[in-house]
Amino acid sequence: MVYRSNTRLRMSIWAPIILTLCLIATSVASSGATCSADSPSRFERTYSPHHAAHLTISNVNGKIHVVSWDKKTITARVNAAASVLIEDEVAGDDITISTKRNLRLGRADFEVCVPPDTSVIVKNYMGDIEVRGITGHVSVTSIGSDVRLVNVKSPSVDVRVTSGDVYFEGELNEGGSYSLQTMKGDLDVTLPAATSFNLNARALSENINLGSFFSNLTGSSRGPKGVSGTYLRGGPRLSLTAYAGRILLHKK
Amino acid sequence: MICTKCQELLSDYIDGALELGEQVSIERHLADCEPCRAMRDDLLQIVHFSHQLPLQAPASSLWPRIQSDLTELRPRLWDRPLRWWARVRSFNFNLSVPQMIAGAATLVIVISIGVIVSRRDGAAINSDTATRLSQVTPLSNADLQQLEKQINKLSDSVEQRKESWDPELRIAFERNLFYVDQTLVECRHQLSDNPSDDVSQELMLNAYREKVRLLEGFDKF
Repeated sequence: MVYRSNTRLRMSIWAPIILTLCLIATSVASSGATCSADSPSRFERTYSPHHAAHLTISNVNGKIHVVSWDKKTITARVNAAASVLIEDEVAGDDITISTKRNLRLGRADFEVCVPPDTSVIVKNYMGDIEVRGITGHVSVTSIGSDVRLVNVKSPSVDVRVTSGDVYFEGELNEGGSYSLQTMKGDLDVTLPAATSFNLNARALSENINLGSFFSNLTGSSRGPKGVSGTYLRGGPRLSLTAYAGRILLHKK
Repeated sequence: MICTKCQELLSDYIDGALELGEQVSIERHLADCEPCRAMRDDLLQIVHFSHQLPLQAPASSLWPRIQSDLTELRPRLWDRPLRWWARVRSFNFNLSVPQMIAGAATLVIVISIGVIVSRRDGAAINSDTATRLSQVTPLSNADLQQLEKQINKLSDSVEQRKESWDPELRIAFERNLFYVDQTLVECRHQLSDNPSDDVSQELMLNAYREKVRLLEGFDKF
């Protein structure tokens, strides 16, 4: 009897305390859940490669900006929806930052600063892409993106988008390969006037405007859908393919 | 969306004059409706052929001339042709033998120059086409069949997954797939007009590859 009464006494003391703790835990958990569902997450990393790095950015939905700077480190900042999981992997000088594919289409915006000699590979589904001041290789593939390559001096550039405009402003390296393609959008290329190259331009829309480059294009074949030829001494291979859009070539 | 509404909007859809919402509704309807897809293809064909028609710009003096002709036609239909014929008949065609020889010689020279120029252009085009053909990978039936097989397999897989996707992702996929399919239809039309057009072949092969890339990308979701 005594024992029982003591137990009842203990229970009567602990019950309100346990109940209060449960209530506090529940409220904290629920407020935390609300917070994580609404507020965006932020991913921020700095990488220190030993040599020229190979950076791969793989995103689904959101803009990607890659800009060169004068430091030897790579800094990546990603503002993403809470539902987006961002992963990174480093193997020597190969760095991969990717968003995990998810049934919920959360947005993730990348701002990345890299040394100029970094090779950059960008893969995206939706969202604009901009790459500035890179001297390493550049490869961009996307489904629906406007792509801007500015002040690019790469030995090779490969851009493929299904829908979106592609803008290239930069220099072509001797012996380099430059391939730009869009199915639904314009290709706009600006090159220094003294650049030599071998051109292969294809436009299903029959809308190719080479501006003043055309007059000095030698050995050229010109059909309504395609122009091929050598500008000045030739050298770098410039391949431009547009389907439902224009090809525009300007002198800087 | 019902078929009548879809067919009503198809023309604006092909011109790209619809708002995004309507465009997406049409694309969804087209994905499931064979008759409307056939109508879209027919319209694309018409657009394609109309683009090929040569542009005939009338001279600026044409309208005043038509107006004056109409005014003259009103009283009597045959007045003007008769007057013109009478004027022609009144011309004096009495030419001397040297004048006739000189005229004939001029005619022969003009025709010869025309023939030589046209042949030279033809030869240049032929050699140019031959050079380019040698540079381009030919699009064989085996290549096409292989690509189409791959595309069908991927399409089936993507169709099964599509329902579980985020609506925004599904819209993006359908829109881009439409662009690629539209391109392929255009390439086929151009190749049916000119089967030896190597640039169209190259573009078509590339468009098929692009479709594979698109489907492979979305097959990962």
